[in-house]
Amino acid sequence: MTANILIFCAAGMLVTAYLMVGQKALFTTIRLYGVQSLLLGIVATTIAIAESRPELFVTAALTVTLKAILIPWFLMRTVDRIGIHREIEPFLSVPASLLVCLGLTVVGYRVSTGFQEGARGVGHHLIGVALSLLLIGLFLMVTRKKAITQILALLTVENAVFLVALGVTSGMPLIVELGISFDVILAVLVLGVLVRRIVGRFESMDVSRLSKLKG
Amino acid sequence: MVGLVAVGLPAALLIRLLTVAATLALARRARTCRWVALVGSMLASLLTVTVALEVIASGLSVEGVLVRHAASGIVFDYAVTPLSAWFLMVLGVVAIPTALYSAAYFSHSVVASRIAVVGTAFNVLVGSLEAVFTASGVVAFLCAWEVMTLATAALVATEHQERASRRAAYLYLVMSHIGTGCLVAGFLVLAGQAGSLSFSALLSGHVVSGPLRDGLFALFFVGFGVKAGVIPLHVWLPEAHPAAPSSVSALMSAVLITAGIYGLYRVCGFGLGVPDQNWALALMAVGMLSAILGVLYALTQTDLKRLLAYSTIENSGIIVLGLGAAMMALAHDQRALATVAVAASLTHVLNHAIFKGLLFLGAGSVVMATGTRQIEQFGGLLRRMPWTGLFFLIGALSISGLPLLNGFPGEWLTFQALLLGFTATPGLVRLNFPLAGAMLALTSALAAACFVRAFGISFLALPRSPAAGSAHESPLLMLVPQAWLATLCVGLGLVPGVALRALEGVIVSLPGLQLTSPMAEGAWGMASGIGSFDHVVPGIFGVAVLSALAFAALLTVRREAVARRVPTWACGGDLTARTEYTATAFSKPLLMIFRAVYRPRRQVDSLADVSPYFPQEVRYRTEIEPTFERYMYAPLVRLVLGSARGMRVLQAGSLHTYLAYVLVLAVILLIWLGGTT
Amino acid sequence: MIPDAFLTIGASLLQAGGMLAAAPLLRTAIKKMKARLQNRQGPPLLQGYYDLAKLIRKEPVRSETASWVYVAGPRVYFAAAVAATTLVPVLVAVAPLEAAGGILLLVGTLAFGRFALATAALDTGSPFGGMGASRDMTIAALAEPALMLGLFAQALAAGTMNLGVLVRALVQQGPSWHPSDLLAFAGLFIIVIAETGRIPVDNPATHLELTMIHEAMVLEYAGPDLALVEWASAVKELLYLTLLVNLFMPVGIATSVETEALFVALMAWTGKVFLLAIAVTVVESTNAKLRLFRVPELVSVSLGLAFLALAIRFL
Repeated sequence: MTANILIFCAAGMLVTAYLMVGQKALFTTIRLYGVQSLLLGIVATTIAIAESRPELFVTAALTVTLKAILIPWFLMRTVDRIGIHREIEPFLSVPASLLVCLGLTVVGYRVSTGFQEGARGVGHHLIGVALSLLLIGLFLMVTRKKAITQILALLTVENAVFLVALGVTSGMPLIVELGISFDVILAVLVLGVLVRRIVGRFESMDVSRLSKLKG
Repeated sequence: MVGLVAVGLPAALLIRLLTVAATLALARRARTCRWVALVGSMLASLLTVTVALEVIASGLSVEGVLVRHAASGIVFDYAVTPLSAWFLMVLGVVAIPTALYSAAYFSHSVVASRIAVVGTAFNVLVGSLEAVFTASGVVAFLCAWEVMTLATAALVATEHQERASRRAAYLYLVMSHIGTGCLVAGFLVLAGQAGSLSFSALLSGHVVSGPLRDGLFALFFVGFGVKAGVIPLHVWLPEAHPAAPSSVSALMSAVLITAGIYGLYRVCGFGLGVPDQNWALALMAVGMLSAILGVLYALTQTDLKRLLAYSTIENSGIIVLGLGAAMMALAHDQRALATVAVAASLTHVLNHAIFKGLLFLGAGSVVMATGTRQIEQFGGLLRRMPWTGLFFLIGALSISGLPLLNGFPGEWLTFQALLLGFTATPGLVRLNFPLAGAMLALTSALAAACFVRAFGISFLALPRSPAAGSAHESPLLMLVPQAWLATLCVGLGLVPGVALRALEGVIVSLPGLQLTSPMAEGAWGMASGIGSFDHVVPGIFGVAVLSALAFAALLTVRREAVARRVPTWACGGDLTARTEYTATAFSKPLLMIFRAVYRPRRQVDSLADVSPYFPQEVRYRTEIEPTFERYMYAPLVRLVLGSARGMRVLQAGSLHTYLAYVLVLAVILLIWLGGTT
Repeated sequence: MIPDAFLTIGASLLQAGGMLAAAPLLRTAIKKMKARLQNRQGPPLLQGYYDLAKLIRKEPVRSETASWVYVAGPRVYFAAAVAATTLVPVLVAVAPLEAAGGILLLVGTLAFGRFALATAALDTGSPFGGMGASRDMTIAALAEPALMLGLFAQALAAGTMNLGVLVRALVQQGPSWHPSDLLAFAGLFIIVIAETGRIPVDNPATHLELTMIHEAMVLEYAGPDLALVEWASAVKELLYLTLLVNLFMPVGIATSVETEALFVALMAWTGKVFLLAIAVTVVESTNAKLRLFRVPELVSVSLGLAFLALAIRFL
């Protein structure tokens, strides 16, 4: 049962990542990130119960409150304030992006067979999904123009790292996890402020315009 | 029967030669000449079909010698192997109705005045195709191949007063000769290695190995690929097929491309030993590309015959994809899987020939009735040509791969091969198979869109031009062949097992293939051939559909008596042909969605007298980019012309210079010879 | 002992009849739930049947421009949808006509119906018919590969393309809990939305010429002809939902023909289809209709998910 829940949630995270790539409305992207984080929280809780490791409960709670509720709420507020709701044309069209992401997932999955457990265990899927998420997050950062999407992509990468940690070693030490969480929230806050500054300066949050800053 | 089989082919050849002689002799008397040419062709085809069917049924090859020249040692012999017989049968199935159709069709317009030439070329084309399929030696094969090319070129140039026809014929000749050049080179190398000119020695699979084998594969692939019309070697096809008289187009699209396929089978697939995985990848890639691009280009054509020509490219792609899958399976020693793939591909060869022949004959009737090939000028033809319309609809349903018709079995089997291939091959290569499956699904759905458009815009609603409004049904002689092919479409769709069972003999004759479980479930059904993966019995399902149809009719029959006919609401205006949806508009969404492929260009001119807000006339022009012509062939042509200019220095035009060349060459050769001995 | 042939015929008739009877209810239920989400009362649950009954009693009004193709269109569309129901297991883990074929035949049959209706739409000479036919065929063409791949993912996992055998294998194995299940389901769900003409791909309630797709195609139909089209569309929708339900959550499906098992299966099937209907309603209510040229993006997501579902199961 544990394995089933884990796999189900991991697959769900992958689906949310693909839906993120597949559409451009910022609100939906933020919501998808929220769902993804929630699924991650469930993964952590499940492992905590199955392996009776209470410190993981803290991690899970942190994940859910911070990443599934607080950060999405903050980002939505930011989007609302600046009044830009859609990603403009990304550098790569959606179908082409999906094609690339497919390749990335195949790579991620392929690599994950080389890890411990090797064959078809839970670890294989968790790591496969996590690596795919990592690559997709990076890819999103490369191809999207809006600062908000970039933040979300970064957060997806962070989720992926967390998932890898859960998959390989059943989670990082609590202190590391706490540190990362506060790092993330700080990063989001700073970036959120930065986005508003960018919009204030350029009347747009197209980060490709930042290239105008150079002399 | 045995006697007939033994002398069948020489007899057919004799009939053809006599027919050609008689046709040329009777050139003055158009009517007699026409009948002699076409009845002769039919008789000869009947003979070859009989032989072919006999070989397929018995599974035993028929061999014989036509000419033996003792002094030079050249032998023209023939061998009807089961594989040859299959293609021979496909040829006959289309050639006979086509000839009958031509008997009426050749009586009109330009063809009538050139009947001796056209009749001769028709016979030569069919005869050389028969020779290509049955030749058992390199010399005979290449001769037949070349005669086939020339005869086709002559037919393409039938309307040689038109610039487009001349250009098409020229392009066809150029491309064909590139292909033939590759073939000659390939066969020479092969013959040099084998020390023989007979196919049985050449294509035993043990002659060459290593990089040389790969090089030969590439040569043959290009050589046969040109004839098969696969992208990117297809450029001649959409020009040449429409330019020929329609019944010849039918023959070209249905059977001429299978000459290329036959070559690919004989040499690339089963003649050079166990295929390499990379060859299979090349074939699958080219097959997918041809299928998807073929149908995408077909979708935007407004010339009915060009549309059909592009759809030939698509189907050729599906056939090549099947062969590629088979080769991939052989490369991984999956014999049962290879068998399924070959069955898929060969089934589609037959079925495509039937429905494409039917569609081209229908297009011919329409073109004859309206005097144009433009779909936008048709409309409302179903009322004026009810039978042609019905047959065209059956062809359209078949080519869209819909169940109960004969486009379905081939695609069904191809899907089986692709899905089974996915589970049977190792590593990342296997991802090719679902990719190909997705492509095939997209292709068949796009084909359906394409033929909804082709049939709907041409045959339904109001006439879009006066010519379409005054069209008349074709004569009986042109309808009977279409009826025959349409019957075959439905028949082979309902009882696919018949063709498949005949095919089993062909399959086991190919090296490396073996049948683990029968693929034909009686006459009615098909099975996937490996385990119990899938099976289909269209007949049973046909009964279900018919019952449901009867139920629907029953539900509505009560009020049928009070049915009213009213004018279509045209938003308050008069309903004219100008308010109808056009073929261009129909494919516009797909044009936009696949704009990365098409790269459409459009130009809207508004002609206004007084103010730009009150245009008198709006002219809309749209074109799609001829990608391959512009980016692949144009640079190539520039390169060739450029190097030719460079070589002009050598061609000084002076006799003495040429003699000097000869002298220099002789000296060099002598020195070289002296050095080696 | 009843001969097998009669059993097959009987089961086919029963199943086709049952699907025909249940289909209008599903459509109305979705309409009703949608209305409730918008704080409206919505139609009574039996409205679907009233509409059909009324349409069938009306006089058929047809364009004088049209030929027999126009009359044949709705009938073939209807026949294809109804015949297709016999290829899918609904309550029992057996498809009545599984001897006839599997997934490919099912998809092909639905394509046949679409072909017929789209062709018929071109027959009146009205620009709307052409517009609808063009758009419908476009979306169908884009959706087809994703639909096929999604179904193939399940088929290959069970090692068969026959839906009856497939569902039996799934029941026997129990849920596989493989990531590819979820991916394939997500992919197919998007396709079902697209194929049944729901928001965000098409709007079943609109009659605005710029946005309608399926409605434009059948705009000229009236009376019994329209009844057939509407009914068949409803059957098709129920069929797609049933397919999703039984391919991914075959919980409760009857493996034997006993009253008790059948009753449980009926309850389970109704519940699961209802759940999916809620999902469809929520998607319809919370999304805006996409521009036609944005649909490929949505469909490509589903194609991607389906491909992935196939790929990762065997990597």
